[in-house]
Order: sequence, then C-alpha cells, then structure tokens
Amino acid sequence: MSLLEVEDLRVAFGASVAVDGVSFSVDEGKVVGLVGESGCGKSVTSLAVMGLLPKGRGRRARQPVQAAVSEPVDGGLKTAAAAPQAIPASGGRGGRGGADVQGRAVFDGVDLLSLAPAAMRRRRGKDLAMVFQDPLSSLNPVVPIGRQITEVLERHRGLKGDKASKEAALLLDRVGIPDPYRRLREYPHQLSGGMRQRVLIAIAVACAPRLLIADEPTTALDVTIQAQILELLRDLVETEGTALLMITHDLGVVAGMCDEVNVLYSGRVVESAPVRELFRKPTHPYTIGLLGSIPRLDLPIHEPLTPIRGSIADVIRWRDGCAFAPRCDRVASPCVDGEPALVGAVHAHRCVMAEEVA
Amino acid sequence: MSTEQTDPHVPAQRTEEPDLSSAVSDAAAPPLLEVEDLKVHFPIRRGIVVERTVGHVRAVDGVGLSIDAGGTYGLVGESGCGKTTFGRAVLRLEEPTAGRVRLGGDEVTALKGERLRRYRSKMQMVFQDPLGSLNPRHNVDMLLSEPLKVHGVGSKAERRKLAVETLDAVGLPKSVLERFPHEFSGGQRQRLGIARALMLRPDLIVCDEPVSALDVSIQAQVMNLLDELQDEFGLTYLVIAHDLAVVRHLSDRVGVMYLGKLVEEADSESIYEHPRHPYTKALLSAVPQPDPEVEAGRERIILKGDLPSPANPPSGCRFRTRCPWAEDICAEVEPEWREAASGHKVACHFDL
Ligand SMILES: Nc1ncnc2c1ncn2[C@@H]1O[C@H](COP(=O)(O)OP(=O)(O)OP(=O)(O)O)[C@@H](O)[C@H]1O
Ligand SMILES: Nc1ncnc2c1ncn2[C@@H]1O[C@H](COP(=O)(O)OP(=O)(O)OP(=O)(O)O)[C@@H](O)[C@H]1O
Ligand code: SF4
Ligand code: SF4
Ligand SMILES: [Mg+2]
Ligand SMILES: [Mg+2]
Repeated sequence: MSLLEVEDLRVAFGASVAVDGVSFSVDEGKVVGLVGESGCGKSVTSLAVMGLLPKGRGRRARQPVQAAVSEPVDGGLKTAAAAPQAIPASGGRGGRGGADVQGRAVFDGVDLLSLAPAAMRRRRGKDLAMVFQDPLSSLNPVVPIGRQITEVLERHRGLKGDKASKEAALLLDRVGIPDPYRRLREYPHQLSGGMRQRVLIAIAVACAPRLLIADEPTTALDVTIQAQILELLRDLVETEGTALLMITHDLGVVAGMCDEVNVLYSGRVVESAPVRELFRKPTHPYTIGLLGSIPRLDLPIHEPLTPIRGSIADVIRWRDGCAFAPRCDRVASPCVDGEPALVGAVHAHRCVMAEEVA
Repeated sequence: MSTEQTDPHVPAQRTEEPDLSSAVSDAAAPPLLEVEDLKVHFPIRRGIVVERTVGHVRAVDGVGLSIDAGGTYGLVGESGCGKTTFGRAVLRLEEPTAGRVRLGGDEVTALKGERLRRYRSKMQMVFQDPLGSLNPRHNVDMLLSEPLKVHGVGSKAERRKLAVETLDAVGLPKSVLERFPHEFSGGQRQRLGIARALMLRPDLIVCDEPVSALDVSIQAQVMNLLDELQDEFGLTYLVIAHDLAVVRHLSDRVGVMYLGKLVEEADSESIYEHPRHPYTKALLSAVPQPDPEVEAGRERIILKGDLPSPANPPSGCRFRTRCPWAEDICAEVEPEWREAASGHKVACHFDL
C-alpha cells in the first residue's frame, strides 16, 4: 500500500467538472508528477487532497468562498494562496457555491476526504504539507518570516521562544538562506522570489511531513534559481524519504525530478507511466503532441515544432467520447463513441486508437 | 495566405520589393538595426517635500548589438537583467540615458516629433501579456485599425481590408473582427497582438516574451507563426525571452545579458554548443531537458545566491558574486568585451 492513494477523485464546481475520476498513488521516498496544461485540474486535485477547497453541497454551504479559504490555518500561511489559483478571475462557471468533492484520498490508511475539518487541520502542516506556485501570496505580508515559521513549530511540535527561533534559523539554513537570524526578522517583500520560495519550503518541511505537495514550485522563478530549488527538493526526498507530489506543466522538470508521471487532460489522467517509459514510448496522442511542441536544446537547431492544433477550449465531454478528439490528428469514429477507458497497469493510457498509434 | 496589397496609402510591403529581398541575402548589406553602447538609467528618488535623486538603477548599462535585415536576434537573461528596458529603448518607448540606435542607417536616437512618429511605424512591439496590452473595450476591428489611424494611413474601408488580410496571416478568421479581447484564448490573443504589430508592415518587431504566458502546445503554434510571418513579410526580429530553448529555436544570433550588460554573443549554433562565459554555461546547465536519460547524466552548475541589485552592481566583473570560477582579478578589473573566436564575443578574463 502506498503512502497516498487517490482513488477516483472527482471535483465539480456547480455544473462544471474540474477533476473527473483521477487515481494515482505516491510512495515514500518517491516523486510522482502531475503534468498537463493550464486548467486541466492539477491544482484542484492537490487542493482536494489537502482539504483546501471551498466546501460545497450542503456541508457548510453558507460559508462564503472567500472566508472559507482565508481561514488562518497553517502557521500564518494564508491558505487564501489557494484562492487566486483555484478560483478563476471571471468567477464563472457557477463555481461560487464551492466544490463538490467525491472519491477517496487514502493517506496512511485514513481517507482524508472523510476527515472533519479540525482533524484535517491538525494533519496539514504536520503529516502533509504544500508549497504553492506564488510564494508572495502564500506568505502573510505583514508578519515577519520568523514568526510565520515559529507559529508552525509551536502548533505542531510544541516548540516555544528561543527554542523555536533556533529551529527556525536551522530550517532557513537548511534551505540555503544565508544569514538566517537576520532574515527571520524580515518581511516577505524584503526577500527575492527565490528566497521566498525557500522560506515556503522551510515552513512546509518544518514538521518533517511524510508527504509534500509542490504545485508549480518553480514556475515563477529564473532557471538558475529553479535549479537551486529543485536540488533542494531532490535532497529532501533522498535524505528524509519524503513522498513528493510534483505538479508542473514543464516536461523538463518532470524528466529531471519524477519517478512516475501522470499526464492530465481536461480533468482526467490520459497516460501514466514510470518516467523513462513515458519519454521513451509516449503512447497517448496528447503526450506525443506535448513532446513535439517543446523546443529542445539537445536536438538540431531550428528543428521544426509540431504543435497540437486548437486549444483546451475545444473539448467534448468525456462521457461522450475522448475530450482530446477535437485536437487529435488520429481521431476516428470509435473515439467519439462513449467514454474511452484507461488501459494498462504499469504504463496506462486512455486512447481507443492506441494500438494503431503504437 | 492573402497578402496581396495594392493600396498606395499603406506602407510598402517587403514581399513586393525585389531589391530588398536580395539585400537580405547580401552579406555586405549594412545591418537593419545597429545599437551602440545603449544605457538606460532610472533615477531612484527619495524625499517627501523635495525629491532628491539618491542613485540610479542601471537597468541597461552599455549594450551594443546589430541585427541584419531578415535576421532574428535573441536576447536572453534572467528576470531584471534589463531585456525589456533595452527593447523599449530601441523603440524609443524609453528615453536612453546614452548611446545610439540606428535603423536602416538612420539615427533614431536624435529624432523628435513627427519624424520620430514616422520611424515608430517601422518598429513595433509584441508584448508578453497579450490581454494587458490590448484595450478591453475595443473590438478587434478597432484594435487593428488604431495604429493605422494614428499614422493617418488609408481610408476606413482600406484599413478594414488590411485588418482582414492581417488576421488571415496570423490564422484568425474574418469573423473575429467584432469580438473583444476577453473572448479569446491566450494563444488567440497573442495572435491578435502579433496582428496588431503587423498592421503597419514594420521592418523590425521587438517580441518581448512572446510565448512565456502560453501553454506548451500553444507556444509551439505561436513560434511557428512567427517563423512563417518572418518569411512572408521579410521581418527582422529582436526576440526577448528568458527561455533558452525558445530563444535558440527562433534566433540565428543570440546575446546573453546579465545585470544590464551583454556577457556573451554568438550565432545560436556556437553559443549553445560551445558556451564560453560561466554565466551562459550555468544557464544552459540549469535548463531541464525533457529526457530522463539526459537529465540523469547531467552535470549541473548550481549557482549560489541571487541577482545583485542593478542599482549597485558588483565591482569588476558583475557576475563575480555568483561565478564559480571567480579570482581576485575579477573583483578589480572589469573584463573587456572581446572576440574570443570569429563572431563569438565574450566578457570574461579567462578562456574557459
Ligand atoms: N473555485 C473554483 N470555482 C470554479 N471553477 C474552478 C475553481 N477552481 C478551479 N476551477 C476550474 O477547474 C479547472 C481546473 O483548474 P486547476 O486550477 O486545477 O487547473 P491547473 O491544472 O492547476 O491549471 P494551471 O496550470 O493554470 O494552474 C479549471 O477549469 C478551473 O477554471
Ligand atoms: N520605469 C522604471 N523605473 C525604475 N526602475 C525600472 C523601471 N523599469 C525597469 N526598472 C528596473 O530595471 C531593471 C531591468 O528591468 P527589465 O524589466 O528591463 O528587466 P527584464 O530583463 O525585462 O526582466 P523580466 O525577465 O522580469 O521581464 C529592473 O531592476 C527593474 O526593476
Ligand atoms: S481516443 Fe481517439 S481522439 Fe482520443 S487521443 Fe486517442 S486517437 Fe485521439
Ligand atoms: S571575469 Fe571572473 S567572475 Fe567574471 S565570469 Fe569570468 S571568471 Fe567569472
Ligand atoms: Mg494550477
Ligand atoms: Mg521583461
């Protein structure tokens, strides 16, 4: 049994389905990737596992979305960080009422989705922690860095005063921030983007969580800083045996970090495989299309790109057929004749034409 | 694609000028764009009643480069190194503190008023954020015609005809003319941004992070489009981007910028095959490759620390605070911008 087993996760905002039956698992000391383009459901999946989605469907439905997400939990970390990512600016698609979450997310034998909010809050930050894409909006701007770290240490590890400060400084040092005692007194805006992301990682690992979810942790950063952060995460997995769920749209990051990969399209896993398998033998036309779209430093210069046509706006509903059909070059009539199933165990794909594709 | 153009009011199209297309292949032709020792310093002001200038952000601090007609120059570097400011100063959207810009042999830096406005029509910009750069209350017809109106080009009907042709060139149907920017996807908006830049049939287009806001599959569409349009309209590009693979794919010459200065420049082949500057080496080694075998066997140069402040750059070599090869001389003497191999320039004391 894996540390985290997500089974048939479904998340709907009103009538719009953001995550549509996603299953995957993460083992201790392993890195599992969720990869796909904007809006495919990566963040919603991770927020559902963390219990950070605004609740919908009867359960505390009175609570307005804003209040539900800005609840001061996680050591001064504004969980509202989730809000700008998860809630589209248009506020559209009838999502205001909150999320309807179904399925299971079994962590160490316990289904997180069935836990009461208070019980989930106790685990968050301690057993499982999350690092968001935008470090600035995930930190509280008016609270010094040090206070934001010691708060977590106090709540989950019972450390107080000097002991907590000392531990906070050690954590900053560990994530490679020079002069940690000075930094503890500073505010988020006084730090560079890369340093803020380190602080978030320091907060996330403060209680040695067994599972870390990193949602696009380096997307906002420069490549040289990205390399530093990825190195830090790799080190954490290797030395602590942390399980890492890595969310990214960058197949380069996937190739360098992950053991297993799940490719998402329109709320579903369309291909999943061990990382080398996936890159050696991509099977789903979407995965093949993604790989053909990336300019690569190791291929001959000016090698033409083969983009995927259209955009994610061109979809059909999964229950009617393959959601990728409107953009797929290999589309045939079986593709739009009902739901395509995920086929295969170790290397699985959701494409009815895969035999022909291979 | 329909680009046939008979309207006398509209600036001439490259495709119709045989002499110019031959100039493109002629190695002896002067570069289309020449920039010499360009500087843009922003004053840092303090004080409530009386503002004083307490220092300068040296955003661009002496950059020179040239781009041949029909060529693509890629300017790459990390956030805050001055790429956008350089691009804006070339277009005179930012007033240079010092230096010279020549377009087609004519000095642009000294132009004022009406003559500057005429020059501006030959140089256009495509922005990173397609939505932010398009007026949300204007429909596509208005957005595309506006640059022509400003420059007093064509009648209303002529402008519309040109808009339709340009939309066709960027792969959008005529039916979008009545639609507004928010009704488009990111990739379509970027096509609109490009169409708008094309309306005046400019010689030079500065593309500032043209694909970084887009999804991977859409990035490829837009890059291919930029390629096609370059051939079709005989465009010269200055591509500004932080993504080394994007820059390599689009450019034939590449310059690497660090803290307001170029540290290395060469044709794309040599800069990616044989990087000479430590910063370029580190950048290249940091780009994750979509191939697990390559990634596993890779030597990474992990740089320490962050970019220093451009208001107070380090003495000597600006890269020395992060350079793994730095020696004493690097703090004392600024390395000169020298030609280390034919057509390959670098600013480092050593041959690494
Ligand atoms: N609170 C919400 N209310 C309504 N719809 C939502 C909400 N949060 C997310 N969605 C929708 O769910 C879908 C999945 O969003 P999600 O944020 O998971 O995408 P993502 O894969 O993380 O994309 P990105 O790469 O842009 O971060 C999108 O269509 C999004 O608009
Ligand atoms: N109008 C301005 N006033 C003061 N400082 C400015 C101004 N515009 C830019 N700067 C500063 O000049 C430096 C260079 O900025 P610029 O936007 O050119 O960088 P860039 O290389 O384009 O970065 P990015 O990749 O983040 O777009 C930065 O330190 C920036 O803060
Ligand atoms: S099921 Fe059909 S449309 Fe979908 S990816 Fe496979 S071939 Fe393409
Ligand atoms: S001059 Fe010195 S500090 Fe600068 S890049 Fe070369 S070796 Fe490094
Ligand atoms: Mg997301
Ligand atoms: Mg910029």
